[in-house]
Amino acid sequence: MDKNDKELIKEYLEGNDDSFKSLVNKYNSSIYNYSVRFAGIDNSKDIVQDVFLKAWRNIKKFDDTKASFKTWLFIITRNTITDYLRKKKMISFSSLDKDEESFESNILDEVILPDEALIKLEDKELLNNTLDKIPQNYREVLVLYYQEDMTFNEIGQLLEKPLNTVKSYHRRALIMLREMIS
Amino acid sequence: MEQKLQKLFKEASYQPESRLSGDVWSSIEYKSAQITKWKKFGYLCLSILSLFGSVFSIKSLIEQAMRLGFFNYFSLAFSDSGAIATYWKEYTLSLADSLPVVSLALSFFLLFILFISIRNTSYQFKNKLLAS
Repeated sequence: MDKNDKELIKEYLEGNDDSFKSLVNKYNSSIYNYSVRFAGIDNSKDIVQDVFLKAWRNIKKFDDTKASFKTWLFIITRNTITDYLRKKKMISFSSLDKDEESFESNILDEVILPDEALIKLEDKELLNNTLDKIPQNYREVLVLYYQEDMTFNEIGQLLEKPLNTVKSYHRRALIMLREMIS
Repeated sequence: MEQKLQKLFKEASYQPESRLSGDVWSSIEYKSAQITKWKKFGYLCLSILSLFGSVFSIKSLIEQAMRLGFFNYFSLAFSDSGAIATYWKEYTLSLADSLPVVSLALSFFLLFILFISIRNTSYQFKNKLLAS
């Protein structure tokens, strides 16, 4: 039976190294994919190693009442990528934070991406290239929501944004995606 | 739409090389070994320093106790117990007065540090033996 993260952390803190290995195996693909999206493929391996090292060093400080292990790990990843981008003097996540105005739209989700758009997105390369062109905050919401199965609440916790802002980013991202592929 | 989009996004995920999790674990093990090495070195230094400190402070404690006449008062307890039973209040005060309190506290503190550092050094060595 698969153990949940809380059990694995407890076991690791009791001295079972294999439990932390299980957490690495469970999340390394997600962290890698997220890193590639925001720091590029060349740097992602180092970022993944850095993230797990930080998680290992701070595992005793992890508090499951504040956030899930997955959210905590993504917060570490986000901070690591921000530090990395700052060092490289590339655009940081926060550069888009000013764009906070509320987005009101009456367009229903079904209409945002019609079937023709979804058919076009079946081309992996087109989807990845289009995602790369979407502003980082919007792309982040799409990646975390559709690839990492995170809820809007978890994404809000990670991005330190209110739920409505996250939902607004999600809607804008989908509209941008539609416009870019049409 | 949401489920379809989820499927498309998942298919377009970037996948790491299969050895990435192994590499991550190796870097954690390397870092852990480094930390253990530094801890061992630190505790060993602390053990040696506190050992020397304890020796000097105990030596100083004995010298001060002799100078203040603590041992003279103390030996009375074995030679003239009848007088002590009669004047026990005066005896206790004299004994306390001749006690080098600062040196005694310093010696206890250093012995405590020595005990803790020896315990932690042996713990680090034990962990290394278990790991190998």
